[in-house]
Amino acid sequence: MLTVKKISKAFGPTRALIDVDMEIRRGEIRGLIGENGSGKSTLASIIAGAQFADSGSFELKGKPYAPRNMVGAQNHGVSMIIQEMGTIPGITVAANIFTGRLEEFTRFGFINMKAINRRAAELLQEIGAGDIHPETLINRLNFEERKIVEIARAMVANPDLLIVDETTTALAQRGRELLYRLIRRLHEENKSVLFISHDLHELMSICDTITVLRDGIVIDTLEKEEISVDRMRSLMVGRELSGSYFRSDYDGSYSDEVVLEAKRVTSGILEEFNLELHKGEILGVGGLSDCGMHELGRVLFGIDKPITGSVTLKKNNVQVKDPHVATKNNMAYVSKERDREAIILNASIKENVVLPSLRQLRKVLGLITRRSETNLTNKQIETLRIKCRNGKQICNELSGGNKQKVVFAKWLGKESDILILDCPTRGIDVGVKAAMYKLMTELKAQGKSIVMISEELPELIGMSDRILLLKNGRLQAELRRSPDISEKQIIQYII
Amino acid sequence: MRATAETIDIQEILNRKARRKDLLRNIIPFSGLVFIFVFFTVVTQGKMLSSSNLTNLISQCFSVTIVAAGASFVYAHGGMDFSIGPSCGVAQLVAALIITRSDLPIWLAIAACILVTVVTSTMVGATSAYLRVPVFVVSLCMRAICSGILTVGIAESDIAIDYARFSGFNSEVLKAVVLLVVIGVSYYLFEYTSLGKYEKAMGGNVVTAFQAGVVVKRTQIAAYTLMGLCVGIAGFFQLTRTAGVTGGSGSGLEFDIMVAIVLGGFPMMGGSAARLRSVIIGALTITILSNGLVLWGLDYLLVNGVKGLLFLIIVAITYDRTNQNQMNFTSA
Repeated sequence: MLTVKKISKAFGPTRALIDVDMEIRRGEIRGLIGENGSGKSTLASIIAGAQFADSGSFELKGKPYAPRNMVGAQNHGVSMIIQEMGTIPGITVAANIFTGRLEEFTRFGFINMKAINRRAAELLQEIGAGDIHPETLINRLNFEERKIVEIARAMVANPDLLIVDETTTALAQRGRELLYRLIRRLHEENKSVLFISHDLHELMSICDTITVLRDGIVIDTLEKEEISVDRMRSLMVGRELSGSYFRSDYDGSYSDEVVLEAKRVTSGILEEFNLELHKGEILGVGGLSDCGMHELGRVLFGIDKPITGSVTLKKNNVQVKDPHVATKNNMAYVSKERDREAIILNASIKENVVLPSLRQLRKVLGLITRRSETNLTNKQIETLRIKCRNGKQICNELSGGNKQKVVFAKWLGKESDILILDCPTRGIDVGVKAAMYKLMTELKAQGKSIVMISEELPELIGMSDRILLLKNGRLQAELRRSPDISEKQIIQYII
Repeated sequence: MRATAETIDIQEILNRKARRKDLLRNIIPFSGLVFIFVFFTVVTQGKMLSSSNLTNLISQCFSVTIVAAGASFVYAHGGMDFSIGPSCGVAQLVAALIITRSDLPIWLAIAACILVTVVTSTMVGATSAYLRVPVFVVSLCMRAICSGILTVGIAESDIAIDYARFSGFNSEVLKAVVLLVVIGVSYYLFEYTSLGKYEKAMGGNVVTAFQAGVVVKRTQIAAYTLMGLCVGIAGFFQLTRTAGVTGGSGSGLEFDIMVAIVLGGFPMMGGSAARLRSVIIGALTITILSNGLVLWGLDYLLVNGVKGLLFLIIVAITYDRTNQNQMNFTSA
């Protein structure tokens, strides 16, 4: 179906892809895996016409193929469902699905909305989402439904090759099944799928073959019978990883001393929520994405002001009313929205790392010396093993995992005592994940307190001393650390 | 990773390219300044370097440079202020009125002049911060208010002050000292204290700055206050040089500052790449450019038109478009 020949691509001094060769057969479901920054999304978006390669070429169905844009690629039979949110707000579902193809429905300068709506309804029906009405405004849909609309958009041109870029992370069970059904259908129609995902188990159950990328190079391509989770993991990271990377102990003890207390907090969906965080505790907070746990993190750090109730630091009896007070009292917050909230992308590693510590670095007359900044930064680069040229490198050039390390570095450099971590391992690869878990365990041992908000159940079970499970803004259950907690048990509380 | 000789070579080339790009970005504004200076010296057959013109140049670059130093804090966090020209005019009006209509000491006139611009600029920053109105809108309103006050103030006639009495303020030595002090203090604050670093962080990502504990509103207002201070200082020197207040007092200052910002390679939206030296280089460039164009024989009335055109060209070339709301396909 598709032959990829010696494709290379560089962003500034970063080489994203180096002479990539790949062949996708008709009817094949090909998995594409690699750590963050390994180049898989770049490769996918070049195939789909969203970016251009610096060198190399493609052959599609035996003919040279060089898409100029995504619609051009679609017309050649290559469609992609993109990783980032890709719907246009303020217009209807149908208009979203046919974005860039409105000419096909235009007569004498007028758009035939009826025809568009009819076609959209058929299309949604076909992929098994007939309940989404084509005339609904896209803003009315929830995150998952919007993703389904994107899937519909990718299917408009009846593609021969469908590229799925980490779509399933955004989908719950229903959306996933819809997508799996679609993939199976394409397979039966002798069409091909390129499937990108972080979920190794999912890849194993869906894909016929799996290509592994590392640092922009194709490391290996595994055939069905060679595929195993361990094999994929070690190929991605480039070294053997020991089986479990969570905490190994089941000693869920912590000090009796309460360091942070939330009392009857109401904010957003959260209702009259109470919480006590102890010294040396890893407190897991879990639930579905919209259960109020992210709001909880924001309120605890003073980013959102609660409508009722209060958050208090017990040591000095200080009320956390904004992030300024929080940071002054050695609190730290890692936002779920890393690129949008937790890091200044266009600034250097150094500028990011020292930002919360500037107050402590002040000397006479407010002087902050270059050396004190550099020392602080270099120490963190070393302890966290941030992969970079030096502290002056701009964060935009780093991979996702290394960006996340920079975010951690700024709070560790400040020697924070209370850390509010909202999805700290979201979208980062196994290697960095393992490092983060190790770090949290060390912080606990040092007597620091952590609130870990997470949508990943294995991580909650594996790391927390105590787990609070939320549903619709209320506490559903509180579980103590134990080897017996299962994901099934948790799911029954949160759904 | 299979690090063959070939891949290492390519990596080396890419690194070199990136370094060269950085270097160019740093060098272009400076070489632009040198080029403009040499160009106008040649085309005006050395008139540029005549002692009378050099005196002129110093006083012209004096006000733009001082104000630009203050404005760098505002532009670093992504702010702007269209009101500084007219507010500078009002400050001069107030100082002139104190001098001509009362027996109060001169230092009080100076203090009043500075106070006026500090208050107006601070109000622009504070209004925008606390009422959450775009600073663009607030400063346009302040501009209209100040223009109104200036028009009323000189409605009967322009106000003249005794030039001889203030000739001391026109000495090049005093101006050089004031200029160096202002640049020195600004440089220190901008590059070596948390104030400047916070402004830059806010320009880079205001949410991140807020979550890192930066008191965003206070930091924003501080930048405007500092700029007001500089505008006031520049205003008083302008008053003593022109020995009077007219409808045109202070006018065009905000635009000169904006052109200086882009000519010096200071990012329009602020952030990490902001450097104080860029602003200084830009201020020198714009002064020499305006001065040189007039010397060359361009009608004084056309100079603003040329500046506008130049501004558009430079912005079109250098504007950072990466933060705009566009679909991002490049995430790896």
